[in-house]
Amino acid sequence: MPEIRVTPLGAGQDVGRSCILVSIGGKNVMLDCGMHMGFNDDRRFPDFSYITRNGRLTDFLDCVIISHFHLDHCGALPYFSEMVGYDGPIYMTHPTQAICPILLEDYRKIAVDKKGEANFFTSQMIKDCMKKVVAVHLHQTVQVDDELEIKAYYAGHVLGAAMFQIKVGSESVVYTGDYNMTPDRHLGAAWIDKCRPNLLITESTYATTIRDSKRCRERDFLKKVHEAVERGGKVLIPVFALGRAQELCILLETFWERMNLKAPIYFSTGLTEKANHYYKLFITWTNQKIRKTFVQRNMFEFKHIKAFDRAFADNPGPMVVFATPGMLHAGQSLQIFRKWAGNEKNMVIMPGYCVQGTVGHKILSGQRKLEMEGRQVLEVKMQVEYMSFSAHADAKGIMQLVGQAEPENVLLVHGEAKKMEFLKQKIEQEFRVNCYMPANGETVTLPTSPSIPVGISLGLLKREMAQGLLPDAKKPRLLHGTLIMKDSNFRLVSSEQALKELGLAEHQLRFTCRVHLHDPRKEQETALRVYSHLKSVLKDHCVQHLPDGSVTVESILIQAAAHSEDPGTKVLLVSWTYQDEELGSYLTSLLKKGLPQGAT
Amino acid sequence: MDPECSQLLPALCAVLADPRQPVADDTCLEKLLDWFKTIADAGSSLLLLQENPCLVTLLCPVLKPQDLSPRVLAFLLRLAGILAAQEDCFQHLQQGDLLPRLFGEAGPLGGAAWTAPTVRSGWIQGLCSLTQHPSALCFLAHSGAVDTIFSLQGDSSLFVASAAGQLLVHILGLSMQAPAEGHPSLQPAHWPACAQKIVGHIEESLRATATPQVTQALNVLTTMFSHCHDPWTQVLWVHLSPLVACLLEKDPVPAAHSLVDLLLSVARSPVLSSSSCGLWDTLAQTLSRLRASQAGPLALGILKLQECPKALRAQAFAVLLQPLTCVLEATTQAPGLPGSVGGTADAPLTAGMLLPSKAACVGLLCQTLAHLELLQPLPQRPSPWPWAPLLSAAVTILRLCNGSATPTSDTGTHLCAFLAGCVRVQRAALDFLGTLSQGTGPQELVTQVFAILLEYLTSPDSSPTVLKKAFQATLQWLQSSPKPSGGGDLEPHAQLFLRELLPVLPKRLCSPCWDVRDSGLEFLTQTVRRWGGQAGFRHALLASEVPELTEQLLRDPESYVRASAVAAMGQLSSRGLHIIPASPGHPGAQQKSLLEELLHILSTDSEGFPRRAVMQVFTQWLRDSHADVAADTEHFVARVLRVASQDLDWEVRAQGLELALVFLEQTLGQPSSSCPYAMTPPAAAPPSLVAQALQPFCRVQLFDFAFRALFDCDRPVAQKSCDLLLFLRAKTASYSDQQGSSSGPDVASLEAALQRWQAGDQGQPLGDLEPEAVVAVLRSLDLEGLRGALAESSDHAEQSPLSLLQDMLATAGILGENEADCY
Repeated sequence: MPEIRVTPLGAGQDVGRSCILVSIGGKNVMLDCGMHMGFNDDRRFPDFSYITRNGRLTDFLDCVIISHFHLDHCGALPYFSEMVGYDGPIYMTHPTQAICPILLEDYRKIAVDKKGEANFFTSQMIKDCMKKVVAVHLHQTVQVDDELEIKAYYAGHVLGAAMFQIKVGSESVVYTGDYNMTPDRHLGAAWIDKCRPNLLITESTYATTIRDSKRCRERDFLKKVHEAVERGGKVLIPVFALGRAQELCILLETFWERMNLKAPIYFSTGLTEKANHYYKLFITWTNQKIRKTFVQRNMFEFKHIKAFDRAFADNPGPMVVFATPGMLHAGQSLQIFRKWAGNEKNMVIMPGYCVQGTVGHKILSGQRKLEMEGRQVLEVKMQVEYMSFSAHADAKGIMQLVGQAEPENVLLVHGEAKKMEFLKQKIEQEFRVNCYMPANGETVTLPTSPSIPVGISLGLLKREMAQGLLPDAKKPRLLHGTLIMKDSNFRLVSSEQALKELGLAEHQLRFTCRVHLHDPRKEQETALRVYSHLKSVLKDHCVQHLPDGSVTVESILIQAAAHSEDPGTKVLLVSWTYQDEELGSYLTSLLKKGLPQGAT
Repeated sequence: MDPECSQLLPALCAVLADPRQPVADDTCLEKLLDWFKTIADAGSSLLLLQENPCLVTLLCPVLKPQDLSPRVLAFLLRLAGILAAQEDCFQHLQQGDLLPRLFGEAGPLGGAAWTAPTVRSGWIQGLCSLTQHPSALCFLAHSGAVDTIFSLQGDSSLFVASAAGQLLVHILGLSMQAPAEGHPSLQPAHWPACAQKIVGHIEESLRATATPQVTQALNVLTTMFSHCHDPWTQVLWVHLSPLVACLLEKDPVPAAHSLVDLLLSVARSPVLSSSSCGLWDTLAQTLSRLRASQAGPLALGILKLQECPKALRAQAFAVLLQPLTCVLEATTQAPGLPGSVGGTADAPLTAGMLLPSKAACVGLLCQTLAHLELLQPLPQRPSPWPWAPLLSAAVTILRLCNGSATPTSDTGTHLCAFLAGCVRVQRAALDFLGTLSQGTGPQELVTQVFAILLEYLTSPDSSPTVLKKAFQATLQWLQSSPKPSGGGDLEPHAQLFLRELLPVLPKRLCSPCWDVRDSGLEFLTQTVRRWGGQAGFRHALLASEVPELTEQLLRDPESYVRASAVAAMGQLSSRGLHIIPASPGHPGAQQKSLLEELLHILSTDSEGFPRRAVMQVFTQWLRDSHADVAADTEHFVARVLRVASQDLDWEVRAQGLELALVFLEQTLGQPSSSCPYAMTPPAAAPPSLVAQALQPFCRVQLFDFAFRALFDCDRPVAQKSCDLLLFLRAKTASYSDQQGSSSGPDVASLEAALQRWQAGDQGQPLGDLEPEAVVAVLRSLDLEGLRGALAESSDHAEQSPLSLLQDMLATAGILGENEADCY
């Protein structure tokens, strides 16, 4: 029985280090290869030993697909390909391929050089890993091998994020990665066609949430920044290099322009330039508004946002600074934070999630006295704000996508168990499909009944047409033919053609029947009587009396024989082909009535 | 336990026990367990419980598991296991009847919580931690836990099932510890009850008709024979091997993959392999019974064994080589591979077995090539190693893949159809071909190798990943190419090959794929490094467009390529292979322009990789006394440091300090060198001489950079600077001793600047520094203390247990606000 098997190694009833194994039509695919930012040891990566126990990785896995550049989806990739030993193809979109190394490099620097961790991947490994990547375009069907094909769909979320359809024969799975069903300042909404996959694997971060309008959050954000700047304070916005940062930059740039504000906005470590480069390069991946206005004005060429220099942090007066990294755990953002934390006029806005152990996490949980390196205590007097700008589909959006794709089954990943449970019930009720939510390490097995494509021979079709019936797409019609399998393909042909192609002779199928007749005469005479009787009754048929004594009517053969026990009874052996079935039945019933007395 | 942590612990326990206060981050509970494990490992768990009674109180809510979230429940089970690992603490918990109610029927086992895999996993891990002493074994025997573990072997979660198997091995090992100290009983019937029960279960599973059960038993045995080498394992194997052998009689052999793992783990066990116990016969039989794709890993495993009968090795090698034999036969070549003549192998692979489908054919060939690649470098590889037939097979496969082979048989035609354009096989064959460069083959074959490599490097059909492998294999073959007896130059064949290759390289350097351009440049850098001094190569390279194209790639849109181009240009320039100056009137003009160009990249490139590559080239140039650098080293260093010190990428700044250190060493001598020419101030050098020695560093503004870097927000930069200044202080120690107290306006302003920088103010430059002031400040700075502080990773404070407890407590109150978020 063909089946689809799905085993999450990460993202099964949790958020972090997405890694899902899918077996479909005998092919094994790994969806995402993420890392958990909350761990500093081996636990940060998915446990790949569950794959390596199946033999060599490259032999077992047919391909790896990466949905987008966030580290919880691609952070383990260099480790997997360069240290664990996967040497096969890796698929991702062009923007993801371009941006992935920047984020991996950022993380490597923090892990290896700042935290002094050993056994971590190197810059060269990141590059070698990226050389194994096959970049794909949206809606381009990519043939991984003769049987396995994949296709990317737009997912919103971040630049280059994609949902992937994985198809083997007529079986298919869609994996959404992270997606957003509402457009934002710089990206469009996710979209997929009615591809009716056997299984839709969807993220469920906001499985129970109906998110408020993004406009409200944006307004709130601008209000807070504006207030802080107006009172002469400095605003720090810790961000990761690419993604959310660009959205917020567009927001502030537009606001500054409209309000004619003069306070400087800075973006640290030369990333604006780099980000601009990528957004220009991949302008087709942004939303319609940006694409439309691109000819007149590139939204990513900011008038108010300038490159930050370390010396600027001490400048008097208000300013806004975007600095990396986003969780305040190292580098420039932490340095600026330490400088500004003591002044209550200043403000830090955390626009995203922070893992435990980072300064970002501490201040978000309300801690105001932080122990820094060397037992120094930093008192945080500045205003601390949290605003989630993460771009995930909410419950409504997830339902909308399920409605769009019309899958036979749904499987939830990348969310919390309790919330998944709620969404699962909702999906099952509304769409009448099975919904699964495996934990990490649990396998969901779905039996499939694949439809098998069959080609119809031209000859057979022509014969149908000759009967005067024109094909009508709306009215299915029965078509008789012989199904043959040749060179692993199925074809429906006429029986003659089938015999010819397969080099077979036609078998004759005959029905036989015994009719007992009371007649004491010899067998030959009985046969003659039968002949005479049939000759008189069946005037339109060819009735013959053959030299061996048997009688034929078309293909029907009648022979008379003596009864072994009763000499006064003769047995008529009647046999006919299935083509003459009607005539055969008629003849038998006729003979069963007996012969007329006068027949000689 | 730290008193501060001890103070916070009751509050945290209260939070954990309160179902209304969910824990925000999964990782927190894991880290908390790590911490308890560290404490328990370092001291007495009983004392820990007595000093922190809140921990016992915390374990009690498990008695009402329905109230707790699965992850907190799992956490508590694991915590109880960690604490009960010490026998006295175990007894203490037993007295409170806590353990049976945690791990027995009364616990989560029978309840709704058991449906969560996290809870089942926590239960197993808790038991695994706890099973460390005889009391634990008694507890397991009486609580019925072993039966639950048996059933969990077939759990729907891979993690739980696997952990259950490992726990069985752990229990078996522990229960056998006492009797195994003497002579192991020859009859498992005399073993301890717990061990008997587990062995009985394994026997039953091995007899089962359902493959999953057989697999579970085989996996348990594999884990056991891999990790436990006590004498009793031999008794166990003798007892179970007939059942294992019975599996081979089934058709198809069930759980073949697990069976191979088991047999190899037995063969690797020092206790078992020495006595054989019929093992070699079983291995031989298995080799002949399994399908080719299943037998391959077994054959490889056998060949990797240190001790093994010759006949079995020969059989294994024949099995491993079968697919290649088949390829050679299909292309009407005399295979010449061991085991292929006269059908000596038990089940010679016919073409039909290799060719049932394209997927099977590709899979088997890739597996075989990878296995041989692994085997070849090992000392225990079969001897003699059939270099020539293997080379021939690799070349043939590559020819079948690119369509240049002419098949003469039906099988050959089929192979051709299957392999044509198959990237997977091409990559595997090129990897293997590269490994084969370590050996020797007849000249004719070597010529064929270079020919096929050239075909791949030239072909427009070669995919980027295949090209990368082709470049790697080429480099390996060139490097292993023997030097001609005359010495000096490359071996004629390799030389001819390089000459043919150089016209191909420009095409690759102009490829639209960045990875191809990059692989081409990496190849060029390696070849120039290796053969840049050889006349034939130099001539061919200079006659080609390669140097010019490489220079153009300095402006490539892809940063990786720019970085590789920088490395390649640096190497070309070092070898004097940079483009000949355009104007004869200005010798060296082009060389200068390369230095300028690299400096331009260093100052303006928006990406870090090319800038880092420039710094590496410059540091190497300084080390090698490159002509342009040597012309005016001070000027060169000053310019580079000025740019590098301002760089936003801290790796560039760190490399700037590395370059500064090289400059220091070259000027002052290595830390412990006795170079007679180095300008090292003698032990009692007059102050003027030392000041003179330090003047160049002041002129290139090295101190400004180094002192500023000392307080860099990026730790590695600060560490590098600290090392540099410590080196300098050691060199000037005698001088500073003579100087006495450090004072003067220069010193005061320098110290004031350092204090400002330490406080985070980076604005003010130092201006011109006097060597005396530098020496005085070096002496006053606590560089050792700073180095110690920097040696601790930056997150040692954030990741401390105290920080963890504070974070968990702080998060508990505000969870609702930020709960659903991620990147």
